[in-house]
Amino acid sequence: MDRHHETGKKTLIHLTKRNLLKSSALALIAAATATPALAQDAHLSIGMAAPITSLDPHEDSNSPNNATSRHIWDSLINRGGSAENQPQLATEWEIVDDTHWRFHLREGVTFHDGNDFDAEDVVASLIRARDKESQAFASYTRNIAKVTAEDPLTVLVETSVPDPMILNSLSRIRIISSDYADAEVSEFENGPAAVGTGPFKLVSYTPGDRIELERNDDYFAGPADWDEVTLRLVPDEGGRLASLLAGDLDLIEALPSEGVARVEQSDTLKVIRGQSTRIVYLGMDVSRDESPFITAKDGSPLDENPFKDARVRKALLMAMNREAIVDRVMQENGSVAHQFVAEGFFGHSDNVEEVAYDPEGAKALLEEAGYPDGFALTIHGPSGRYVNDSEVVQAAGQMLTRIGIDTTVEVMPWSVYSGNYSTGEYSLFLGSWGVNTGEVSNPSVAIVAGRDADTGMGRYNGGGIDVPEINELLTEATSTLEEEAREPLLQDVSDLIFNNTWLLPMHYENVVMGAKSGIEFTPRGDKYTLAYEVHGTVE
Amino acid sequence: MITTLIRRAIQAGFVVIAMTLIVFIGVNVIGNPVDILINPDLNQAERLRVIENLGLDQSLWRQYLSFLHGLTQGSFGDSFVYGRPALDVILERLPATLELALCAMVIAIVVGLPLGLYAGLYPDRVSSKLIMTGSILGFSLPTFWVGLMFILVFAVQLGWLPSNGRGDTAEFLGARWSFLTGDGLSHLLLPALNLALFKTSLILRLTRAGVQEVVMQDFVKFARAKGLRENRIILVHILKNLMIPVVTIIGLEFGSLIAFSVVTESIFGWPGMGKLIIDSINLLDRPVIVAYLMMMVVLFVSLNFIIDICYTLLDPRVRLDGKG
Repeated sequence: MDRHHETGKKTLIHLTKRNLLKSSALALIAAATATPALAQDAHLSIGMAAPITSLDPHEDSNSPNNATSRHIWDSLINRGGSAENQPQLATEWEIVDDTHWRFHLREGVTFHDGNDFDAEDVVASLIRARDKESQAFASYTRNIAKVTAEDPLTVLVETSVPDPMILNSLSRIRIISSDYADAEVSEFENGPAAVGTGPFKLVSYTPGDRIELERNDDYFAGPADWDEVTLRLVPDEGGRLASLLAGDLDLIEALPSEGVARVEQSDTLKVIRGQSTRIVYLGMDVSRDESPFITAKDGSPLDENPFKDARVRKALLMAMNREAIVDRVMQENGSVAHQFVAEGFFGHSDNVEEVAYDPEGAKALLEEAGYPDGFALTIHGPSGRYVNDSEVVQAAGQMLTRIGIDTTVEVMPWSVYSGNYSTGEYSLFLGSWGVNTGEVSNPSVAIVAGRDADTGMGRYNGGGIDVPEINELLTEATSTLEEEAREPLLQDVSDLIFNNTWLLPMHYENVVMGAKSGIEFTPRGDKYTLAYEVHGTVE
Repeated sequence: MITTLIRRAIQAGFVVIAMTLIVFIGVNVIGNPVDILINPDLNQAERLRVIENLGLDQSLWRQYLSFLHGLTQGSFGDSFVYGRPALDVILERLPATLELALCAMVIAIVVGLPLGLYAGLYPDRVSSKLIMTGSILGFSLPTFWVGLMFILVFAVQLGWLPSNGRGDTAEFLGARWSFLTGDGLSHLLLPALNLALFKTSLILRLTRAGVQEVVMQDFVKFARAKGLRENRIILVHILKNLMIPVVTIIGLEFGSLIAFSVVTESIFGWPGMGKLIIDSINLLDRPVIVAYLMMMVVLFVSLNFIIDICYTLLDPRVRLDGKG
């Protein structure tokens, strides 16, 4: 029995764009004559903002792929909207010792092809994800040394080092049927291998166009609200918005900012907002004595790199009117950030000073640091990679000019920019990190830890930050298993980074979606749009 | 005929090889695929493993040689992004592009040719002047703007046609086509019209210019003097003589419809090859870029050859093997 019969009074008509007029006319007639309309199958069409590259859940790890695979497959651990670890295919788990975790599996779960789920499937999936040539999931699987099936419903995972993030890692890896452990990518794309235990079954996949799904009535956590779900891949902003307005799509990701007003005014549509875990920041070259894009105002080289002085860095942050950037440039599609993660996420510190916009104070600090007349610099940024990225860089440039730092703005395509910013080519640059673990160690290790090729720390540390105290805390935090012991370490890391202004935190990107008014959905920190979590009705 | 065919094939071979070289060097100049393709969370050892697996650890000329080696085995290599053979990735999008291009071209010919004939034969009528003014709009309005207007008017305001996507498909000759289902056709109409608009105006104006030139010539006057029916004069004597430039343009424009309808495909979310190539360039997916451009070279060379054959059919004086 489906949900709509249970609710009884709600009647569903699946609206397509073609019969928009017709159906509104029908609705009028229906209302006038009080004839009950026919309840039809509940169909949900979601417009995804970025295309998926593969249906093989272990081939490539990017948000659209991982969001799509969660419709069809489950993981041992379910990641909640705020990155919390909940039971999914594993019902409970225990720490055996520093490097061994035991997982008890859910009983009576079947794959879409009717086969039973058991420990062998877990072993096959974890090993497949780890050993795949594309290495897409390496950051989650690198510490998995051995996976053993102790009995059909118990799995022992051995890690090579104590790994506090293992639950988060396991929430990333989809469990496929062991029958398809050796399947090629194409076997997932055209069907046979694409059977999971998840809330939806794959009907068809047209690359670059859509994924058609139907409900798995036997889903262990209860069937989804929707009989059929279509995930449309509509990367074009205008096209996505038009499809929502025309009624072709019921829910769209990344509602373009120019469409917000229009959707808000509409009686049949609404805007859904939520905060994501993606932080946008400005990085500064703090390592070189002479930074390539900083000069005196007359173009002559400076005696030293001003960014080595904490007062100058703080002055830069005080110069940023981040409220205005969020309000005007981002059209409220972001919220001001003061540290890597917002309140409520793991490692957030209340001791981080929230620096307010204060151009006069910034000028005074610059003078104190020995730059009464400021200096000149070039700020670099990507274009088209993050929400309104080039506009944010331009706004930042203007704000710096206002405190006496002559700023030239240079933006370039991501394919050119990506290789340069992370290796320290620039003096002041826009960066961003999707904090996909929802805690502080993940961005800190990548962006702030001293660069170390062997451990992989600091790969995206484009500013050359290298603070021994932070490095030690991070090393300790990444090998401490108990959450109670780990959180204070990470809070200290937050304090050290942001109270010394090693980075200029700008804003968190917001999740902004457009939907028909009857749709209920709470955006997730990881920005995944999961049909299973979408409720409500589509008129 | 055979010698020409062989000569053309050799020419095409050279162009293809030059093109692969340009793409290899060009992609390398834009940026490093490694920075874009590799997950930022990977450590050094894992990165090296992926780089090696993609073959990007080799020097550029070695990569090029192994690519040529793959070609002799009939392989274009695996796409960096999709992890599948590049050719498969392209070919599965071919039907969508092909039907869109064909549909647009048919609309352009069916509308453009008769209107052009009419405007050329009766240049002084008001209706002809209207047609000509309309054609100016047709090729001066930017495609993306017209596309957005179509969506706004027909999908959002009127709700007659779907705004986006390809709709239902049916299988025919081993591929999936939209034009065989009602839903698919309704999805096809707007993007096809959008693409056809510019082509229609082009064919229309070309036809009209041709008609005006041919009408003045002696053989037309002679045909009239001989008392031939007007229909025969128009359809045989005039039309055949103005077709050579028109056929050239139709052929070339058809090629560009297949290869470069990126804008329309993006706006209408049409899952064709144009979108694929732009995505691939942004992601520096070299195997797909190379395979795609090689296909396009072959396509244009073959189209030109077909055009040449059409010339000989239209005008017996033209010889394929001749020097002229």
